[in-house]
Amino acid sequence: MPIVTRPRMLGGCVALVLANATAAAPTTTGAGTLGFVIANFNNAIYESQFMDECPDGPAVGNDELWWRGLSRADKDKLTKNGLVQPVDRRPIALLRGPKGEDVCWNPTIVKDPPLRTVQGKVSYGFNLDGSSDDRATPKSCAHRNFVSEGGTPGIDNQMYRLLGCHYGWRHNGVLDTFGNEERRNSGRGVILMEITGVIDPRNSPDVRVAFYRAADPFYIDAAGRILPYASYRIDSHAGKPRYGATARGRIVNGVLTTDPIDAHLPYYANGSYAEIQLRDMRLSMDLTPNAEGKVNGLLGGYYDFDKWWEYMNKVEFLAATGDWSCPALYTAAKELADGYPDPKSGECTAISSAFKFDALSAFVIHPTATAARE
Amino acid sequence: MYRRICITLSLLLGVGLLSACGRSEPPTPGGPVVLRRLTEAQYRNIIADVFGSQIVVAGRFDPIVRVEGLLTVGAGRASVTPTGVERLAAMAYSIALQVVAQANREFLIPCQPLRPAAADDACATRFFQQTGRLLYRRAITAEDIALPVAIARKGAVERQDFYGGLAYGLQAMLTSPEFLFVTEYAEPDSEHESRLRLDGYSRAARLSFMLWNTTPDETLLTAAQRGELTDRDAVEKQVDRMMESGRFEQGVRAFFTDMLSLDDFATLEKDSVIFPAFSLAAAEDSREQVLRTLVGHLLTRDGDYRDIFTTRRTFMSAPLGILYRVPAEHPGSWAPFEFPADDLRAGIQTELSFVALHSHPGKSSPTLRGKAIRELLLCQKVPDPPGNVNFDKFNDPNSPNKTARMRLTAHATEPACAGCHKLMDPIGLALENFDGAGQIRQTEDGERIDASGVLNGVKFANARGLGQAMHDDPAATSCLVRRAYSYAAGRSIQSGERAWMTDLERSFADHGFRLRPLFRRIAVSDALQSIARGAR
Repeated sequence: MPIVTRPRMLGGCVALVLANATAAAPTTTGAGTLGFVIANFNNAIYESQFMDECPDGPAVGNDELWWRGLSRADKDKLTKNGLVQPVDRRPIALLRGPKGEDVCWNPTIVKDPPLRTVQGKVSYGFNLDGSSDDRATPKSCAHRNFVSEGGTPGIDNQMYRLLGCHYGWRHNGVLDTFGNEERRNSGRGVILMEITGVIDPRNSPDVRVAFYRAADPFYIDAAGRILPYASYRIDSHAGKPRYGATARGRIVNGVLTTDPIDAHLPYYANGSYAEIQLRDMRLSMDLTPNAEGKVNGLLGGYYDFDKWWEYMNKVEFLAATGDWSCPALYTAAKELADGYPDPKSGECTAISSAFKFDALSAFVIHPTATAARE
Repeated sequence: MYRRICITLSLLLGVGLLSACGRSEPPTPGGPVVLRRLTEAQYRNIIADVFGSQIVVAGRFDPIVRVEGLLTVGAGRASVTPTGVERLAAMAYSIALQVVAQANREFLIPCQPLRPAAADDACATRFFQQTGRLLYRRAITAEDIALPVAIARKGAVERQDFYGGLAYGLQAMLTSPEFLFVTEYAEPDSEHESRLRLDGYSRAARLSFMLWNTTPDETLLTAAQRGELTDRDAVEKQVDRMMESGRFEQGVRAFFTDMLSLDDFATLEKDSVIFPAFSLAAAEDSREQVLRTLVGHLLTRDGDYRDIFTTRRTFMSAPLGILYRVPAEHPGSWAPFEFPADDLRAGIQTELSFVALHSHPGKSSPTLRGKAIRELLLCQKVPDPPGNVNFDKFNDPNSPNKTARMRLTAHATEPACAGCHKLMDPIGLALENFDGAGQIRQTEDGERIDASGVLNGVKFANARGLGQAMHDDPAATSCLVRRAYSYAAGRSIQSGERAWMTDLERSFADHGFRLRPLFRRIAVSDALQSIARGAR
């Protein structure tokens, strides 16, 4: 069994990671490696103090639409005169198709009122199509751009426009909050990041950023907080990582940015595995730890529409607590999809998205040669 | 015969030949026979060895007070409280029920009753004879088994179940002082009329508890029964066999668990707000880590004992990797690990098992660490603190003294404290780069830590320097020798054994400070079996 040696520390919260968990130096080039485990991963929702971005108010959820459509007699019959609460009447509320169909599995079977979408101008995200105006490009359909908090134009984040007026996705909303807790407790869908080629954690002109899925659960303390500096094996099969999208990047003044790549990221939330498929995915990550020892980042790209809706179908049971309506959401999403138009139909097949995340220093353990043979 | 030739030649030609013979040792007056209570580990090992590791030993044991650095010596002064007896009885019955259970009886009970629903004295007698020999560590007499057989008979009749009755009988045997206490007996020493020696069974027990920390096996008991353990060659043969066994590692682990006071992990508590990464798993792994380090260095690599204070090689687990901030190659298990040459971690005194164990729940303690080095690793007694120590200056949260060194300097100006702190603090301060959970740090409260120190006149700059000073300090090797012999004998070292200790230390050095030769020499020594007259 090879002897592992302590990697050199680059300082701060970042730790060098052993490339192959052997006695070898962290990388053969002599450059360093930084490892991270993503602790919280949320849809990037820009929220103003008074919810000005949603001038019509929050989106109307499935339960309310179902309730509106019932006769007084049916309300009495189905909810014991209103005593059955929305969460408990969810199973029947979703079956509001003409013949009792589930409207999440059949989102076009009924026509809901138009979804209340974000009307604000500011959003987190990236300029994915390289355009600052709202016109279509070879890569994108026509859409309304946002500006960043700092005023940078051309920010593409139609997912925010779609989801931003739902309580379920806003701060402490059920979907991402539950997702983070479930990943923390189950260890499923945990994303590892490994940055190689680091000369200096403040400035490194040419680095590689790889994304893996962890095979080990989080290491948490007695209070349920995720601990830094834990070791995580890469989820592998036959010696090869199941995930491993790798982007080229650079670190300038402690901020890591990457060039766009098409990537599949592991994801697990709300009882469902759901791979995040992003085209033109890119990253911005401040490597300076905050008071909690975490680093923060923003990740964005065009989210494959079908893959996203597949997840939404899996979590349809949360429509009541998340307060959304599948038909309204689906219709709006189709309209707002702005990436990668289908050559034949012209309909966009992906929707611009952004995710905010925080991460902790970690050691990423690569599969060994023995494991590869096995 | 060989030994007599050597002694004769030595007398004729000088003592130099003694070492050439390889077996000589200074005469000792012998010590007392010892009556010592089984430790928890010994109890568990015996049950596992006699009945199998599938038997669950569930229960708590009365604590044993450490005497002269060892629980093993304290066991010679330990009693059993009334509550402890109740617990032992309950534990014994639980074990007995498992032994007679359907799944185990076929291979643990050497016979079958004529009728399962009735008593069977013959079968019960056979079982208690076979089992009792291992539990009592000697030949079983008719008197020994009369009571358990009678209890088994009565129980079987009342319960109309042979095995149910047998369980009661076994419970009686497991709660007998003959099992719970290692009782030594002396006999006249035919080669030294002036003194006594342990009888064969007592010597077998000493050897077995020293080398395996469990009861003698059938081979050793048979040798004792045949009177072979009074013969040096036969003893050497047995000792060599035992040291080649995989159980020797178990014995070495038990010895260092005792010497390093690792039982204190059972009551170790850390403030989870201050040290969130110091989990129960980390505590358990810290204990295991140092034992793996020691076994790896001293047994697997047959290394120089002094190097345990400077070695950078250890083993790493996932919970420990978080505290050490290093990768754990196999997060689900242990992996060898080596700290780089310029790392502050070098030597067992920089492992968590030391720096975390000898700290306060929420902060480090140079004093506790210095005391532990003096007492556990150098065998130097530090006086207990006076009862009226004023910790105000040390514990003042608003103190301008940010580092432990500053606070201790202020505290140690108290005349009542200064004397002892001079013994401990200059050593312990060298470990201040490790916080109360053993995590590495360069500053305390924003102030850069000065980890310089001095040990017996040797100055150093940090923990690595401390390790080197300990490596070079003859007190460290002398301490191991004394502890090992005291552990083997289960008693304090006698005043008449000084020359023997000196000889052992010299022999230890001659063999490159390796553990195996030291243990072997102690195990086969006359000193270990010598009993002073009047101590019978």
